[in-house]
Amino acid sequence: MSLNVIETSGLTKVYSSSFGKRTVEALTELNLHVSDGMIFGLLGPNGAGKTTLIKLLLGITFPTRGSAKILGEDINKYGFKNKIGYLPENHKYPPYLTGGNVLQFFGKLSGMEGAELDKKIDEMLQLVQLSKWKKTKVKNYSKGMMQRLGLAQAMMNNPELIFLDEPTDGVDPIGRKEIRDILIELKNQGKTIFLNSHLLSEVELITDRVGILNKGKLLREGTVKELTEKKEEYKVAIEGDSIYSLPQEFIQKINLQKMENDYYSFKVDSTQELNNTLDVLRNNGIIIKEIVQQKNTLEEMFISLIKEAEKEKVQ
Amino acid sequence: MKNIWIVTWFTLKEAMARKVFIFFFILSLLAIIITGLIFLLSSSVDINAFGMKNMPYDNPVTMIEMMIISPLTSLCLLLAIFSTASFVPIMLEKGNIDLLLSKPVSRDQLLWGKFFGGILVVLLNIAFLVIGVWLIISIKFSSWNFAFLNIIITVVFTFAVLYSLMILFGVLTKSSTPGMMVTYFVFIILSPLLFAAKDKFYGMIASSLVKTIIDIFYYIIPKTSELLGTITNDLVSGKSIENYQPILTSLAFLILTMGISISVFRKKDF
Ligand SMILES: Nc1ncnc2c1ncn2[C@@H]1O[C@H](COP(=O)(O)OP(=O)(O)OP(=O)(O)O)[C@@H](O)[C@H]1O
Ligand SMILES: [Mg+2]
Repeated sequence: MSLNVIETSGLTKVYSSSFGKRTVEALTELNLHVSDGMIFGLLGPNGAGKTTLIKLLLGITFPTRGSAKILGEDINKYGFKNKIGYLPENHKYPPYLTGGNVLQFFGKLSGMEGAELDKKIDEMLQLVQLSKWKKTKVKNYSKGMMQRLGLAQAMMNNPELIFLDEPTDGVDPIGRKEIRDILIELKNQGKTIFLNSHLLSEVELITDRVGILNKGKLLREGTVKELTEKKEEYKVAIEGDSIYSLPQEFIQKINLQKMENDYYSFKVDSTQELNNTLDVLRNNGIIIKEIVQQKNTLEEMFISLIKEAEKEKVQ
Repeated sequence: MKNIWIVTWFTLKEAMARKVFIFFFILSLLAIIITGLIFLLSSSVDINAFGMKNMPYDNPVTMIEMMIISPLTSLCLLLAIFSTASFVPIMLEKGNIDLLLSKPVSRDQLLWGKFFGGILVVLLNIAFLVIGVWLIISIKFSSWNFAFLNIIITVVFTFAVLYSLMILFGVLTKSSTPGMMVTYFVFIILSPLLFAAKDKFYGMIASSLVKTIIDIFYYIIPKTSELLGTITNDLVSGKSIENYQPILTSLAFLILTMGISISVFRKKDF
């Protein structure tokens, strides 16, 4: 049975600055459900409200309206927090602490102690490959090292739910791959991961479901496959330009358009129509070299979705 | 409780990592060494040479102890305010507070942890200094005035009251400078001034309005000059405290400022 580990209803956050003169609606009437054991990716342009959502869920900021539950508990409580991990964006640790100290401090605050804590610290440093740096002060860490330490910190208390705000920010490609592998491993252990990112190609690789947030509103939510598939659009490669010998009304009907080189795109409503179309092409002596179903990358889908939303605003 | 202790402990670590704490410590050590050189190496010190006139102490040993410690405690408090002013603002820095609040710790516990952390830092320093000097003097004169150790309590209490003010400003402004400035102002100027107005010039003031204004300010502002003056003198001489009012009103100030800090902190967005 799958359980909702995150549930929000009508969650709204209005920030007011300069004595309430200027207000920013960072999150608007958000209803989101994330079930357990999956990697959920929240995507959105800068300022969309991604970080705000995590902060609301963790009680770092308070909602203006609406409510939310984490692991079945109201977000006003703080008891559930020993079952969650968090890697904030731009996280900062007191510079006088060493990497080991950081894990010790936050581990203790999560209720760990003694030999169990010491063992876990070494295990986590090993996992993010910082064992050698255990006794180095964090002020001497590089950006990527800080990010790895942050990830180790987020996993310290063996959490059921982990929030990661831009976890691969500042990490090199190899490190990113390693982080992705860690996240997949965590998922295999049955943990739920909530990921904020704008690195779409990366999100595409590991997430089960994604939500797209823009200006505080959830535009879409679903699996990557659902969101990127263009159901009835195909691309064909043919030999020569014999395509123009086709009847004009047929070209219009399937909206046949030249793409690059020998490639053309067309649209059909069903598999039956696809086969009919291919028959017409073949009957007109057209040689088909290749045919593929069109797919958006997550990035293309994302950009067109955000653009659409902007247009609607203007109207 | 455990969470408060963890935060307290790491606050102490933070202080240790700062240069000010070392400076504090070296200063105390220096004072102890100098006291030691003067009193333990010189063969005989004539107690009566110090002159007991106009001194609030009956015991000459207490007087010597106070002569050494009094100026040092004021200096220590100045340093203490300086070195603890950033405890709360550093905790509230973006990226740090987010993480702290994501842990199973309440906001109250975080603030109390910082409060006790600051107090522990000052307690350790003052205790080191006072006990060091006290041991030397006591050995030299073979006179063990345990009441003198009460000065540790009055200094730490005075600090606690001032620190609560810095915590309030820290929570409100998220930076250390405003709190530090206000606290220095209260400690160095306002408190001594109001005490003088109340104690010395009150009778000379004709206007009852001015008197009322002085009274209001006098009772609101923490009475650091009395805590370190008359109250400390009473305690170190082993006498009972003559007037509890400065302690009680200062304590009320501490409770009130901490109460406001906590209620503001509880509702604050980060
Ligand atoms: N403390 C605050 N006070 C006022 N406005 C804020 C505050 N925090 C965030 N905002 C505003 O809320 C909006 C959403 O910000 P948020 O940090 O959630 O965006 P984000 O999606 O995480 O962006 P990014 O991808 O850049 O991290 C922005 O317009 C931001 O200016
Ligand atoms: Mg963000």
